[in-house]
Amino acid sequence: MKTYKGRLGTFLAAFLAALAVSSCSEAPQDSQTTDESVTEAAPGGVDASVKSAVDFDHELDPYQPKKDHYNFYFTYKTVHPWWDAVALGMEDAQRQYLDRGITVTYEYMAPEAASAEDQTARLRAAKDRDYDVIGVDVADEGVISPLLDELVDSGVKVMTFSSSDAAAGCKRIAYVGNTHNYEDGAELTEALCKKLDYRGKVAILVGSVGAPCHEDWARGAKDTIAKYEGMQIVATEYDMDSVSLAYELTLEILDEYPDLDGIICCNMSNPVGAARAVSEKGSSTVIVGMDHDQEALHYLKDGVIYCLGVQDCYSIGFDTIQIAVMIADGNKPGDLFPEKTDEATTVIYQEDAAIMLSLLYGDD
Amino acid sequence: MKKRVTRKKLILTAIVGGILLMLMVVVHTIMSSRQMISATDEAVSEVSSFYLEAMADRRSKTVTNLIDGNFDHMEKAVEFIEAQGIGSLEELRQTIGNIKSLLSLDRFALVDEDNIVYTRYTTYTGGSRHSFLSGGEMKDRKISTVSIYGSSKQLCLAAPTPGLKIAGKPYKACFVQIDFREIVDLLAFEDEGRTYFGLYNKNGENLSDTELGPYVSKHNLFEKMRGVIPEEEWNANHDNFTNAVDGSVSFTVNGVAETLCYVPVEETDWMMVVLIRESVIHDRIRGISEKSQKLSQNQIAFTLLFSAIFFVVLLLMFKDMSNRQLEEEKENTKAFRNMANTDSMTGVRNKHAYSDAEAYLNRQIRENEIEKLAVIVCDVNGLKHVNDTKGHAAGDQLIKDASAMICEHFVHGAVYRIGGDEFTVILKDKGYDTMQDVLGEINRVVEENIAKDEVVISIGYSTLTPEDKLLHDVFERADQMMYERKKQLKAMGAKTRSDS
Repeated sequence: MKTYKGRLGTFLAAFLAALAVSSCSEAPQDSQTTDESVTEAAPGGVDASVKSAVDFDHELDPYQPKKDHYNFYFTYKTVHPWWDAVALGMEDAQRQYLDRGITVTYEYMAPEAASAEDQTARLRAAKDRDYDVIGVDVADEGVISPLLDELVDSGVKVMTFSSSDAAAGCKRIAYVGNTHNYEDGAELTEALCKKLDYRGKVAILVGSVGAPCHEDWARGAKDTIAKYEGMQIVATEYDMDSVSLAYELTLEILDEYPDLDGIICCNMSNPVGAARAVSEKGSSTVIVGMDHDQEALHYLKDGVIYCLGVQDCYSIGFDTIQIAVMIADGNKPGDLFPEKTDEATTVIYQEDAAIMLSLLYGDD
Repeated sequence: MKKRVTRKKLILTAIVGGILLMLMVVVHTIMSSRQMISATDEAVSEVSSFYLEAMADRRSKTVTNLIDGNFDHMEKAVEFIEAQGIGSLEELRQTIGNIKSLLSLDRFALVDEDNIVYTRYTTYTGGSRHSFLSGGEMKDRKISTVSIYGSSKQLCLAAPTPGLKIAGKPYKACFVQIDFREIVDLLAFEDEGRTYFGLYNKNGENLSDTELGPYVSKHNLFEKMRGVIPEEEWNANHDNFTNAVDGSVSFTVNGVAETLCYVPVEETDWMMVVLIRESVIHDRIRGISEKSQKLSQNQIAFTLLFSAIFFVVLLLMFKDMSNRQLEEEKENTKAFRNMANTDSMTGVRNKHAYSDAEAYLNRQIRENEIEKLAVIVCDVNGLKHVNDTKGHAAGDQLIKDASAMICEHFVHGAVYRIGGDEFTVILKDKGYDTMQDVLGEINRVVEENIAKDEVVISIGYSTLTPEDKLLHDVFERADQMMYERKKQLKAMGAKTRSDS
């Protein structure tokens, strides 16, 4: 929230640019991401951007909530450590409100496996429970976006958060999270292509079918690969955000394409599964992927993974609670908060891994 | 032949003996000091290990007590919840809030059968967040270390809650999470940073984020110890960690000796490791030792000084005593000699003394070392007559009177009583020079005494001539002259032996 004013300007500029483009469903135009949103910790040097990739030092905005108790309901795609990191940011904000005498209670729920049906059921159940705000990490924008509109129409205050926003035009009030998934996918793939000298066979592990962030990352990857004649996508698989499934799929791909040059991983689980398989096979396949899984960071440190795009989950969680409070008080996007609160992604390399392990896990 | 122990030898022996004795004390003291230092050094290692083990053990028990205490409180918390008859999520949250106040369980939470976690303010799906939920049905207590994203590590204590139902819904577990920083605060030392501790897991990872001294710091213990200690020792300690066996390691880095000791923390996979620089214990023990040593040295120095003074005083006393004894011996010798050479009746030299003198003078005569020498021979007239007529007492008195008369006149000569009524006077130097005058005077007195019936002495004399070989030659002439004089005196009326 400290950078809201700056981000608001960026957002407005991007929004105006988006208006000039006829279709808002195409990924590059759909994204609100600016060049500042994805920071690259360039290979060869550890800079301050690595240390600031995740901001654990937050303070609430001076906004004075109107009530002394808020009760929220949040639902996200699947039970997964990525959202556990988001939860920690939320708990930090909750504690800070408590210090101000404001009690924030909430439920933060997800199914064991990503499912639009499950999310639909949860949202329908939550609709009548008089929550101040319902927050959704959209499991499938095609399925969930209409439901969100329905909720909003029925008077429920709805926001989206963390990894996936609803479809464009959805009535949800605001979104807090990664607004540049497509660019993240493109950025990682660009790094892979450069590493491979723009020639080679690659596979893509997408994640969950229909999950906007996973799909956006994959689209960013595909579009980037398409730019280079020497690059070829030989396989695209959905691992459903499962480490074990990602591992098995990678083994199968490697069996089928022993000369595979690279794997693009589009969620937090599949870099781990892919790295396990590549290590086991003794393959030299270059892996690029997303997020901050501790095991993945160790693979990065060991050189099995080439680079990772680390999202600032802590800030996503913290800002989600703050904006939820503002929304609960009847505020709309504007000066107080933007319609889309962008959170940073930082691409890190092997030389950054130790610092990131220490920063995130105290793992020295 | 037995050598005689002289006084000088005795004193020399005493001095040499005393010095040797003191040297032995000094050498013994130095050797004792060195042995003490060596023993201290050896003791330091043992004490270090013992001291550290005690510290590690104490802190390990503190952690165990913390764990046990929390489990006890969790049990009470569950009993409290069961007793509340909770009917809604809000009531459950309120009750958990009350538990925090009542039992000081800051992060107490319940978990239902769907792995949904209930805390004071939040309800969340916790399957991926809490590792103890990943193992299916929970039958026993679980103690685990949790690496919190962006936070320090936490100790997670989880316990099953069989039979617990809230609003008809089964709950399978409860748990608390304790920040390692709180544990570190509980265990903190107050020794100005000279002793260090850390909680480590089996692979040597520092869990407590505490510095284990400047070298190991917060790093993995075994990574830092590799190459610092022999591989065999490294492997042994690594095995100890893996098998939860206590032990200790001493190592030196950059000239600084350090000892660390580790003990397993019961109920956990952790090792409590305590490290201290040996120099700290060493300094402390050596400080005590040196103080004691200094005191001992002072005492020994004082003893030596006192012994030296005492010895000198003793020597002086001994010397004084010896001198006195020597003087007494001299006196006694002199007395004995006097006794042997003196005539007990008259007090003049006796025949024995005359024999000594005669031998001495004979040597001088033989060597021509003497020129002026005269021998006076005196014979007391009428002794037999007095003895016979007046008794022996009167006779003795006559001899005494005669002796006194001779001594009075021959003051520069040596007077000897060489027979019952015979005296000899040996004159040298001044006595020799004044001899004629003295003879004239004494003879005049003798002649006057004839009429008064007092002491009459016949006196003959002779001087040494170049022809004389012995004193006796001089004596013979004097003796001859004495007989001539005796005749003259008889003619003058003096009594002789024949008168009796």
